[in-house]
Amino acid sequence: MKKIITMLLALTMLLTVAAVPALADGEKVLNAAYIADISTMDVALTTNDYIVALNVFDRLYEVKVQPDGSTEIVPSLAESYEVSEDGLTYTFKLVEGVTFSNGNPLTASDVKYTFERLLTIPEGVNYDIALEFAGAEDLLNGDVDTLDSLAVNGDYEISMTLAAPNAGFVAELTSPAMSIVDEETCESVSGFGVDPADTIGSGPYIISEWAVNDHLTFTRNENYWGEQPDVDTCILHIVPDAGTQNLMFQSGELDIVDLDNLDASIIESTYQTIYADSIVSGPRVGVTFITMNENNEFLSDVNVRKAVQMAIDRQGIVDAFFAGNAHVENGMIAGGVWGHNDDLTPITYDPEGAKELLAKAGYEEGEITFEFSYDNSSGTTKQSIVQKIVQDLAAVGINAEFKSYEYSAWLDFRRTEEMPMFLGTWTMDFNDPANVLGTFFSPSTAGRSMNYANTAIAERVDAAKSIMDDDERMAEYQALEEAIVVEDAAVVPLYEEMHMYAIGERVESFIPHWAGYTDFYIRDVVMK
Amino acid sequence: MSTLKSIAKRVLGSIPVLIGVVLVIFLILRILPGNAILSIMGEHANEETVAMVSAELGLDKPWYVQFWVYITGLLTGDMGTSIKYHRPVAELIGTYFPVTIKLSVAAALFAWIVGIVCGVISAMGKDKLADRLGMGFSLLGVSVPVFMTAMVLQFALAFKLKWLPIQGVNDGLLSYVLPAVALGWNSAGSVARLTRSTLLEVMASDYIDTARAKGRSVSGAVVFHALRNAMVPVITVMAIQISSLLSGAVITETIFSLPGIGRLAVDAINSRDVPLLQGSVIFATVLVILGNLIADCLYSVLDPRIRKEV
Amino acid sequence: MALFKSKKASISEELASQIGESQTLGVQLRRMARKNKMAVASAVFLVLLVLAAICAPILTPYDAITGDPMQRLQAPSAAHLLGTDENGRDVLTRLLYGARISLAVGVIPTLVSMVIGVILGVAAGYAGGWVDYVIMRLADVMLAFPSLLLAMVIMYTLGGGVINIFLALSLIEWASVARVARSETISLKESEYIQAAQSIGVRPMRIIWRHILPNCLPALIVLFTLNVPSAILSESSLSFLGVGVQLPNSSWGLMVNLGRQFLYNAPWISLAPSAAIMLVVLGCNFLGDGLRDALDPHLNND
Repeated sequence: MKKIITMLLALTMLLTVAAVPALADGEKVLNAAYIADISTMDVALTTNDYIVALNVFDRLYEVKVQPDGSTEIVPSLAESYEVSEDGLTYTFKLVEGVTFSNGNPLTASDVKYTFERLLTIPEGVNYDIALEFAGAEDLLNGDVDTLDSLAVNGDYEISMTLAAPNAGFVAELTSPAMSIVDEETCESVSGFGVDPADTIGSGPYIISEWAVNDHLTFTRNENYWGEQPDVDTCILHIVPDAGTQNLMFQSGELDIVDLDNLDASIIESTYQTIYADSIVSGPRVGVTFITMNENNEFLSDVNVRKAVQMAIDRQGIVDAFFAGNAHVENGMIAGGVWGHNDDLTPITYDPEGAKELLAKAGYEEGEITFEFSYDNSSGTTKQSIVQKIVQDLAAVGINAEFKSYEYSAWLDFRRTEEMPMFLGTWTMDFNDPANVLGTFFSPSTAGRSMNYANTAIAERVDAAKSIMDDDERMAEYQALEEAIVVEDAAVVPLYEEMHMYAIGERVESFIPHWAGYTDFYIRDVVMK
Repeated sequence: MSTLKSIAKRVLGSIPVLIGVVLVIFLILRILPGNAILSIMGEHANEETVAMVSAELGLDKPWYVQFWVYITGLLTGDMGTSIKYHRPVAELIGTYFPVTIKLSVAAALFAWIVGIVCGVISAMGKDKLADRLGMGFSLLGVSVPVFMTAMVLQFALAFKLKWLPIQGVNDGLLSYVLPAVALGWNSAGSVARLTRSTLLEVMASDYIDTARAKGRSVSGAVVFHALRNAMVPVITVMAIQISSLLSGAVITETIFSLPGIGRLAVDAINSRDVPLLQGSVIFATVLVILGNLIADCLYSVLDPRIRKEV
Repeated sequence: MALFKSKKASISEELASQIGESQTLGVQLRRMARKNKMAVASAVFLVLLVLAAICAPILTPYDAITGDPMQRLQAPSAAHLLGTDENGRDVLTRLLYGARISLAVGVIPTLVSMVIGVILGVAAGYAGGWVDYVIMRLADVMLAFPSLLLAMVIMYTLGGGVINIFLALSLIEWASVARVARSETISLKESEYIQAAQSIGVRPMRIIWRHILPNCLPALIVLFTLNVPSAILSESSLSFLGVGVQLPNSSWGLMVNLGRQFLYNAPWISLAPSAAIMLVVLGCNFLGDGLRDALDPHLNND
């Protein structure tokens, strides 16, 4: 027995290898945490995991958050651009002398390669924007080998021709999807996106380590072409349990904690009291809403949808669950989005009116029954909100049956187009109303269990992209928003919330991503 | 029959079980095809992409074709490619199984040492305070859910008292102390209870009386005779614990953020990564089969009577 | 010796070999009642709990599903004996309603797995040969899986929900039951009176029904008291991982899971159901120990 124990002890020792990254003195090390690991470092293969794209790569244009909180599109790898008369061809002038972290120069042909790669890479998923180039469909389908619409003129000039005019095109270039990669690297290495050493970008950080389900390490790119960031090293720990993250932050092991993962009541009771001065928040540029599937026998009736809108005490939800960190939204173009309309006809909370409307439309109390499908990975706050909404609906005689699903089962059900109602949040990919209205209310919307039936409006949503005059286009989007939300009552916009983080004692300042992503720019952190 | 032969026989005997394990997991995962791709690509993915990527990964083929491809792949160490991580499942498992082994070994050590000590103390002081305390400790172990124990220990010992790390594997052996205690407590309870009852049984038997007659003290008799004889069933139970330790590892690895096989399995479920899920479950099961084989071999070495039975 | 054994199987196998055929179950149970007060107290507690779960609507004035968001996370008080949860619902009320599902999750899959396990185990033991080989290798396969991982995979495929938990846990537990039933059957098959019954041409079904099953019963009862708590704990682990019982249904496991992030500022939400799980598991264990002592003449002699 003794022998066995000695053997086991020896085995344990043998297997134990300390994995602490070695750190120099005085180095500014930022510790942050994610609830789940990223899936890939290659932005062509993901529409969710942007932390590497944001920090290790650059884009032609970036969104910059102004001191007053507003956002502005600023040049990055591109210095300037010109648009042709017909609005189809954009010519970009690139910054000269930019190199990737391996020393390769970043040239116009890398830009062309990057955008073509989005369409040709096997298992690629992030090609929606690239599809707007003329001839992109053919490249995606493999009918051609190259995009003639991307014309390289020397090392530092490239012109891009779109299939249809799109006034939001430059805004789209700020999307992480449009991060520029090194052609030479991508063509020569086997581990791009998987192996940190092979994942070469031009950004302010180098990804130096990715231990799956444990941590990612970002170190400063000493040869960065732009302004050097403050943080030397950022270690992103993968901590799947929110309670553990909470303890880590409170004991100083984390410098930034994403409060999204914690329940509203904990934020209220702990963070907004003890750490009140350490809370940093940015708008989550996007809206949380409830869908109403127009394939459903009850929800196909506009009166029922209007009654649902009127039955929900949206202000009550904001007051009860967000303690001032959210505001009611009346439309789908949220506060921080270009084209937001403050004068949109508000939805009023009027349970009596809802009842009357239902009675007039000939429904008896309790006759209307449908399921409210909830994705159980949304966190306890959203679960409480859904329960509250179910109660509000019950109060006007609408029987919404709360049912919870594990996330992937929920997605499967939603794809069937049968899910009557769910709570969704849309965070913007790029700052243009086309992103949200196009996703939910255009003719090509599928698999989201929405089934917006007003095809005339849906066609107009699609067409609005091509209106080149910004004011005119925004006016059209606002009119469409009014038609969708107010006249057709196709959705119940609820609120826009703040994305809150708490920062530790070692952090001087931190600006969350402008759109409220979980992913952030490490360069926007300044440490003491 | 020689020990070597009996070991060889056991090894051969586990091959059909291994094939059965792979088949069962494969069939269960294909009762409902589900869609591995969709949740990986998340909210912002569209329909055509989902269909295209499914086809690229061969998920549209019938299950028996996939099974054949998989089982022939397994023979060459190929467990498929993780949908989420775009890299070989075998590589991911290879990198992260040591964490699970370390955790399980540490938990097993805790369970066995504490369990046996607790059992002996209880048996020696039957119905006295020591017995009550020992059995109270064991009963708590078997009746409190692992995650509750883990969270309370994490809060009290790591967060409040700062004796041990809250999470992660960056503090060497210390990182494993809390997870191992949380994970091993349940098994410790079973081992303690079994040790106590077998000891009591052995102590009631004739040769303890003989030992007494020889003039040894009762506690001496316990240590020399009873414990040795009581160990055989206890070792059997210890081997059985391997399976429940691996089950519990799923939970402890999640709470203490240890990057092991259990985490991989949970991660795979959350992202519908079927190849990763079946790889990690099959691998964990192989660990159980191996553990049982080793225990069986130890057992036949320790107790020659068993050898003859085989 | 089989390749894989569950703990329960090995205990019960041992037990099976020791059970005499002279005493009836009733006599044994009465003896237990006399000797083991803990077991009796546990039995009473479990019965009371079942009654409380059934009578939940009478015992509490609150609603289990809808709460008052303005009354969130209230500490225990006279109005809310165990406080309120993150939705402002009364924790005691949720505990009583949750008991329905938790106890059902403990009992129903255990019963189902008993039936499956006994049928397969007795068939294997009685028929022998290839039937025995196939059934027992299948049992080996099931017992080789770490049970939580297998349950996770099954729940992942079927989706969350109470019925699916019944299915998953039944599929997992039958193998250990089959083991016990088989070894009992084999030892009984060798006994003289069964040999005698076979020799005078009594049909196998009758032998199994009249002689083998009744003699398996004591071991199976003990196994039952061990499997119920393990099913309750498995459900709580599945719920912890998000693949168990789904809202608006509630079980203790799910309550612990949803309440665990409040462990540090509203501990009653998760501690109350944890304590409930613990008490039921303890109760089953005491009862199981008592039954084993009563049904096992060997230990009674000391």
